[in-house]
Amino acid sequence: MKRNMIKSVVMITLAAGLLFSSCQKKSGKAASKKGPVTLTVWCWDPTFNIYAMNEAAKIYNRTNPDVKINVVETPWENLQQKLITSLSANQADTLPDIILCQDNAIQKNLMNYPKAFLPVDDKIDLSQFAKYKVGYGEMNGKKYSIPFDNGATCTFIRKDIVEKAGLKVEDFNNITWDRFYELGKIVKAKTGVAMVSYVGNDPDCVMIMLQSAGTWMFKEDGKPFIADNDVLKKAVTVYSKMIKDGICLTVPDWNAYVASVNNGTVASAINGCWMVGIISSVKDQAGAWSVVNTPKLSDVQGAVNYSSQGGSSWMVMANSKNPDVAMDFLNKTFAGSKELYDTILPSSGAIGTWGPAASSDAYSKPNAFFGNQKIYEDIIEYSKHIPQVKYGVFNYEARGAVGVAVSKIIQGTSIDTALQEAQKNLEFQMGY
Amino acid sequence: MRTIMTGKRTLEMKYKSAGWRFVMPAAILIFALCFYPMVQAFFLSLQSGLANNLHFTGLRNYIRLFQDDQFIASVKNVFIYLVFQVPVMLFLALVLASILNDKKLKYKGIFRTMVFLPCATALVSSALIFKSLFSLDGLANTWLLGLGILSEPKNWLQDPVWAKIIIIFTITWRWTGYNTVFFLAGLQNIDTSVYEAARIDGASPMQSFFKITLPLLKPVILLTAIMSTNGTLQLFDEVQNITGGGPGNATLTISQYIYKLSFVLNPQFGYAAAVSYAILIMVAILAFIQIKVGDKQ
Repeated sequence: MKRNMIKSVVMITLAAGLLFSSCQKKSGKAASKKGPVTLTVWCWDPTFNIYAMNEAAKIYNRTNPDVKINVVETPWENLQQKLITSLSANQADTLPDIILCQDNAIQKNLMNYPKAFLPVDDKIDLSQFAKYKVGYGEMNGKKYSIPFDNGATCTFIRKDIVEKAGLKVEDFNNITWDRFYELGKIVKAKTGVAMVSYVGNDPDCVMIMLQSAGTWMFKEDGKPFIADNDVLKKAVTVYSKMIKDGICLTVPDWNAYVASVNNGTVASAINGCWMVGIISSVKDQAGAWSVVNTPKLSDVQGAVNYSSQGGSSWMVMANSKNPDVAMDFLNKTFAGSKELYDTILPSSGAIGTWGPAASSDAYSKPNAFFGNQKIYEDIIEYSKHIPQVKYGVFNYEARGAVGVAVSKIIQGTSIDTALQEAQKNLEFQMGY
Repeated sequence: MRTIMTGKRTLEMKYKSAGWRFVMPAAILIFALCFYPMVQAFFLSLQSGLANNLHFTGLRNYIRLFQDDQFIASVKNVFIYLVFQVPVMLFLALVLASILNDKKLKYKGIFRTMVFLPCATALVSSALIFKSLFSLDGLANTWLLGLGILSEPKNWLQDPVWAKIIIIFTITWRWTGYNTVFFLAGLQNIDTSVYEAARIDGASPMQSFFKITLPLLKPVILLTAIMSTNGTLQLFDEVQNITGGGPGNATLTISQYIYKLSFVLNPQFGYAAAVSYAILIMVAILAFIQIKVGDKQ
């Protein structure tokens, strides 16, 4: 009897032990510095950033054959989710050495998990990168991110469609959003095609307008700046007018957005220059596309025809067992190899923000898909004029609040009321 | 006498301890994996702050719920789904079950399989199918344009009302068959002689449906109603995949809001836990009302 009891207790303990053993911390087996070192990297796009990372590994391996770069494909949503769960549970050893982080999320992650990332400015020369990019990863005077892809926005335009409407591509260069709206009306009337599309829930277009005017949704002290932000009000007015009149088409998600651009549902795409890869993937549209700069808000002081949208940056995790190797690797590749940028540009369209790369031949080559336009040269030129803004820690909350406001305005709420509600919502979210 | 008594007692104890030993492993697992996290989540819900910088604030999170526009919007949405979807689905399931229970029906096996089949598809794939049906260049638009009902393609999922209708449509398609199975099982427990007697007394099929089938199925209806209510309050997959909560907050569900609070926005785990406790309280209240109403007679 007693023996049976003991037996069952042992059995249960064993079962429980098995269950929880997976949660146990792995015994620290720090790789000896002399032996081969493996760096794990999380990023998400096989044709874009994963490809670039693998090319960087090839270049680094020539001088450091002992370092193995293990790239794990991790979609951005999963990456963010894994990061938050692991760091909140103090299980940082499940995390990689290097992650790629959306520029929009860098400040948020830095503030919530200040000890999870390593400052890079004393190990890596960041002076050659575009200033607006380095600024995204700055906190308390230290810099935490190594810029990867350029987020400079362009207007990608379907030459064949606008010409059918009796317009020229040049008509879209150096214009205001009001003019863009008028031109969109002409295109819509003559061809029945909407001028541009955006994902309905993400106010990306409004964000592009804001940054092009050097403004964001927060004041200097970090307080929400929505209800009495005149630039935002102007941006929301133009954007909602375009949607109401069918000039701008809203789609439910990113896949639908890509489809609308690729299958000719819209005549243009105004977004980050990383769209080059997506647009060039439809081979039979070769020659049909052109690139011009971004429209600007009219009557706004400091507004320019240049903005940024959706770039990303590398970050080194504090849990890395070989932080020095990770820093050295990034320093000699993304922050130090012209050859790397020469390789990844033609095959993936990944445009960097590292100054010296811009002088390479690859950037001045005409692009056959875009009717032999030297698009990379143009984009590099655009990225020199992008106003720097601080996205802030509550960036996603602010974007969400403005997104809801836009959809309310389209349903008939007045702009002032909707923006006041957005301000209230954002203040609520920040009053945790 | 005494010895017999003690003998009995030890025998009883032996039986009891054997029972406990059978129950123990499952009980420990349920406690460790279900109840323990629930208690932890409750303590979490009494704290506020971002990420791991939490501090104890008592019931503040629960008070915050009433000032939170997004939370209120998500509760409204979920109750709209609940009020329109659950009754329609249960009624449809009941009708289907009655038809499938008909003795004269041929090829019963095929029909039963067909009714149950949607339930075997993964939630995400059914959601994606409905999303593509109602996309701008989807089947719905193609047909309606072809029939001349629409003059230009309708952007279904960007319209707050239509987006809700499509989500209700998807959930109904996915879950009706599931509930039909419960009703079918319930119907098979009703003696056919009851229906025969009713028919001899001159009852129409409609009368026997409302006067015999419905009252006798009451326990099953109660069960399915509670399960569906619970499921709808925790709705996540369908909405996440069809609209992502948009346009605006028009289709956002409470579970989606919890996800947003934890992983999209700055993580507010304490507040997210409070929102999940709000779901628990709502499910408990609704189930209580349903049981009270169901037990009236």
